[in-house]
Amino acid sequence: MAVEPALPRPNFTLTDTRGAAFEFGKETRGLLTFLFFGYTNCPDVCPVQVANVAAVLHTLPFEDQRKARFVFVTADPARDTLPALRKWLDQFDASFIGLRGDDAEVMRIMSAIGMPPAIRSAPGADGRYEVGHPATVIVFTADDSAHVLYPFGTRQSDWADDIPRLLKVRPLPGN
Amino acid sequence: MQWWCSASGKPWTWEPQFYPGVWLLAAILAVTFHRLSQRGRAMGESRLAFWGGWTAVGLVWQVLDWPLGPLAAGYLASAHAVQFVVLALLAPPLLLLAARRPLAAGLPARGAARGVVQFVTQPLIAGVLFNLVAIATHVPVVVDTLMPTQVGAFVIDVAWLVGGLILWWPIVVPEPVRPWFSVPVRMLYLFLSTLVHTGIAMVMLVRDFPMYGIYELAPPWSAWSPLEDQHLAGGVMELAGAVVIFGIITVMFFRWSGGSSGEVPPSAPPRD
Repeated sequence: MAVEPALPRPNFTLTDTRGAAFEFGKETRGLLTFLFFGYTNCPDVCPVQVANVAAVLHTLPFEDQRKARFVFVTADPARDTLPALRKWLDQFDASFIGLRGDDAEVMRIMSAIGMPPAIRSAPGADGRYEVGHPATVIVFTADDSAHVLYPFGTRQSDWADDIPRLLKVRPLPGN
Repeated sequence: MQWWCSASGKPWTWEPQFYPGVWLLAAILAVTFHRLSQRGRAMGESRLAFWGGWTAVGLVWQVLDWPLGPLAAGYLASAHAVQFVVLALLAPPLLLLAARRPLAAGLPARGAARGVVQFVTQPLIAGVLFNLVAIATHVPVVVDTLMPTQVGAFVIDVAWLVGGLILWWPIVVPEPVRPWFSVPVRMLYLFLSTLVHTGIAMVMLVRDFPMYGIYELAPPWSAWSPLEDQHLAGGVMELAGAVVIFGIITVMFFRWSGGSSGEVPPSAPPRD
């Protein structure tokens, strides 16, 4: 799904799974960056989207893998503790970055990027609830812009076609 | 209510589901087989063939019903491969073996019914039909289009069973009589007719990415990745298919080399 005009790489700071502040704009500048808002208790969309990107990244040459970052921002900070986030992401790739912030901060970031807000369902009898969230992976290229969004339903073969092309986008002068 | 298992896209639940269509098909199969096998027993068919047929009825029911049916429809390509092996390769010869005598005796000497059976069970036609079914029901766009619908999933499952019955008829049922279709030719027919599904299994084994969207995008069922599941599916088709086919070819060979074709005499004189 093409984004017109391109979405600039946002600047925000959240806590990564080591407990350190992670400045998204600074840490990912000039790199192919996959940004996804989800939650680790998600039964369907999140594990599929993250697994599909991971599966294709693993097929890339090491040099290309080094140019890519996957950043997962939890839309359910109440349940997604930093260790839980780390454990869940490690199923897919230990290099994937997990970020956590308070609800208001994450909502603000999502809104700034133009994503719909995450909505928590009413808890069931067992106290469990689901979180409605955007199923889209936003991909920022080396020019620090997102030109394409990848909705749920993007296949590994689609990623395999697109990622090498996305890696060819040149950085902005000065980066 | 869901009458047949199809890909729902919902997370898997261990809460048992009831599929009336599956039970109806299993009941029709059981009643039909009961009638045929009783006549077969009266005509001298062995107890082994009789119980083999009932095992096939049970297997067909089990692979179509919960939990394997819905798993195969929308979560695991490997479960779908198990369905294929059972419905197309394993159950048909067992069903036909117990019912071959009454089927042969019940075939009219002439008329439209005989014409259809005579045409469809010609080894070349039967082999082509089975392989067309195998190919068509494994094309990714066909699978991804049909499996999310109950009618589509039903069509694939029934096509495998019917395709399997057509494939195995010339081998097992002694009518229509084809003198040229000797045991060595039958072994060759069986070998050639199953090369296509072996090829499909190979494609599943060597592909770098999942072929079927319904399994790739399904809510995860296990720690297996969709690609690992697809490789397992290819392995099941390849290995289980080979065990069934070459097992039967081996039995045919030893019976033939020992002087027995394992055939029953035809009940009616008409020939191709």
